[in-house]
Amino acid sequence: MNLYQAVIIGGGPAGMMGAITLGNHSVKTIILDENESIGGQLVKQTHKFFGDHAHYASTRGFEIAQKLDEEIVKNENIEVENDATVIGIYPNNTVVYIKDGQEHKIQAKKILIATGAMEKQLPFINSDLPGVYGAGAVQTLMNEYGIMPGKRFLIIGSGNIGLILAYQLIQAGVEVRAIVEALGKVGGYEVHANKVKRLGVPILLNHTIVRAIGDESVEGAVIAKIDDKFQTIPGTEREMVVDTIAISVGLTPLTELAEQAGCKVEFIPELGGYVPIRDERMRTTNPDVFIAGDLSSIEEATTAMIEGKIAALEMARDINGSDTKEEIEEELRTLALFRSGPKSVKIRSGLEKMGIKISIPTKPIINEKKEDVIGKLRAVLECDEEIPCNSCEASCPFGAIHIGENLNSTPVLDAEKCTGCGTCVNACPGLAIFMMKENEEESTVTLGIPYELLPLSEKGQKMWGLSKEGNYVCDVTVERVIKYPNKTNIVYAKLPIEFKDTVRHFAFPKKESPIVCRCEEVSLEQIEKVIDSGVTDFEEIKRLTRVTMGPCGGKNCKLVVLGILSRKTGVPISKLSHGTSRPPVKPVEFSVFKKGGDER
Amino acid sequence: MEGRIEEHPILQFKRKKKIKFYFEDREVEAFEGETVAAALHAAGIRVLRHTPNLGRPTGLFCAIGKCSSCLMEIDGIPNVRSCMTKVKEGMRVRRQKGKGDVL
Ligand code: SF4
Ligand code: SF4
Ligand code: FES
Repeated sequence: MNLYQAVIIGGGPAGMMGAITLGNHSVKTIILDENESIGGQLVKQTHKFFGDHAHYASTRGFEIAQKLDEEIVKNENIEVENDATVIGIYPNNTVVYIKDGQEHKIQAKKILIATGAMEKQLPFINSDLPGVYGAGAVQTLMNEYGIMPGKRFLIIGSGNIGLILAYQLIQAGVEVRAIVEALGKVGGYEVHANKVKRLGVPILLNHTIVRAIGDESVEGAVIAKIDDKFQTIPGTEREMVVDTIAISVGLTPLTELAEQAGCKVEFIPELGGYVPIRDERMRTTNPDVFIAGDLSSIEEATTAMIEGKIAALEMARDINGSDTKEEIEEELRTLALFRSGPKSVKIRSGLEKMGIKISIPTKPIINEKKEDVIGKLRAVLECDEEIPCNSCEASCPFGAIHIGENLNSTPVLDAEKCTGCGTCVNACPGLAIFMMKENEEESTVTLGIPYELLPLSEKGQKMWGLSKEGNYVCDVTVERVIKYPNKTNIVYAKLPIEFKDTVRHFAFPKKESPIVCRCEEVSLEQIEKVIDSGVTDFEEIKRLTRVTMGPCGGKNCKLVVLGILSRKTGVPISKLSHGTSRPPVKPVEFSVFKKGGDER
Repeated sequence: MEGRIEEHPILQFKRKKKIKFYFEDREVEAFEGETVAAALHAAGIRVLRHTPNLGRPTGLFCAIGKCSSCLMEIDGIPNVRSCMTKVKEGMRVRRQKGKGDVL
């Protein structure tokens, strides 16, 4: 039997980081991984990661995997066994795995189990139909193999995985009909949600999937509203034509091997379900066995890597007496910092149940906004939630962005210092930074947006300016396109100044005319026709098309209609007469007026 | 080929050698390095087996070898995870019906 100092089961971010750390401390290590190459779930992540600059922030997941892999290849102490499926752990730290149809046995002084997690299933009628996939499965097919399993998607669950999947699907060129969320608020980070909302993907809160439709394969889905007890509200069911349903309602740790190794597990829902009990330094109840990554708590690749490192440092101490005390303390501090934001409340309370208390070094704060400088090309930061990320601060060559000691604090811009270079727009993993310059004399604004879609726009092209919810706002003209090696390009376009805080995405015009007035269902085309027939008075357009006359009273579309009129007539919006506002400003039942009033 | 992404804003798919395999005696094209399940999806095939008791069609769920939803009969051997098995030239793949005979 082969003897090793350390065996790592699972070559994902936790296992890879663990191996590198062990190798660096002269520990002979072997990684056993079930796949053709290591990298775990990182290889299918095309988005840039949040986090600290020292921890691969602003780097795309698959590139992090490549970098770690390079380090592993260079390290003489690390051996990698791919296509190796571990089937059991036996007494005396014996690990048994199958490779090429053959059984292999190895023994190690210490074992690091980093088997990760698997997607939770969601039971609904026909949930076993082909075409209902775990979100991760769709990512694997799409981003690892370049194979698209469908054309029209419905995503269940608005956690980060669901949100990121929606964005990746659109990048790959297919349609996402909606994201359905059972709770009353979005599960994932706001910046990830905003990314998909402005591409026009609705996030339906308080909704659930009732059934999948189809005989052999998914052809549709029925969704419905639910009440606060998660019961579907009769009469709210509606059918959607989709061919693929992706489930992202959470992950659950894969504890089987840890249990075989004699590690005690406990049910801690905050951490993802059954998890092995372990101490702060990742040691389980079996002193020779350590865990890291999603197996220990469902979190992110960034925290998985830090946990892998901590486990490895402690293992190295056991194995060859390496002095790793200071390093461990440093990593524990970093980990605590990552977990100090409001989005980590669950993890913190889950860990507390296990007796691990996280002392937060400095509390994250909502930094106060500084005064803006109108008329200068500068960054606009739309990142108001406390998330573990400081890529913008780290990327700015001019020190114009401040976050502070705790990376969960929100970023603020010092517009005086900002030179308008655009570096932060390109670096931001949340795509939450835009560039802006008002051109007051011509009543326009130049807006720069991060753009990661195909085709890339070109100078002079006409595009649609879309709102934060993905609705048509106005036409825009592309001024310039800056390409970057990391593929987050910046597209600058000009639009009416009135829409500077509304437009946040540019899209190529579609054949189908967009609806401008949602209440009365009036399209852009209908409005343009009326204007083309010679009608240039807003009140007249209103009478002819019924725009702004629906229940919302024109709150959503009035300015958009004025924008169209302005574009057609060449008169700036500010110079147009915008009609009279009549009561009621909110929808009221007619019976109220019939009853008559009480004059005071 | 159908179902395969050609152009992507972030990723580049470097495909290896083109090969052929058989699905229910029908010839299917694939690229070396793809899993059986992936190659079938590229060809628009999503039903991978029928369940033992109710005979319901099922397919992929996790695609990473964890859920056993994708079991197929590959080169005569039943209960093989098609999401973890690399497709090979001339391979014979069938939908698994029922539990599969123990060899
Ligand atoms: S645009 Fe350039 S100077 Fe301004 S905040 Fe961003 S990185 Fe800094
Ligand atoms: S604005 Fe800054 S803190 Fe927010 S996601 Fe972007 S880079 Fe991270
Ligand atoms: S799809 Fe889950 S094991 Fe293959």
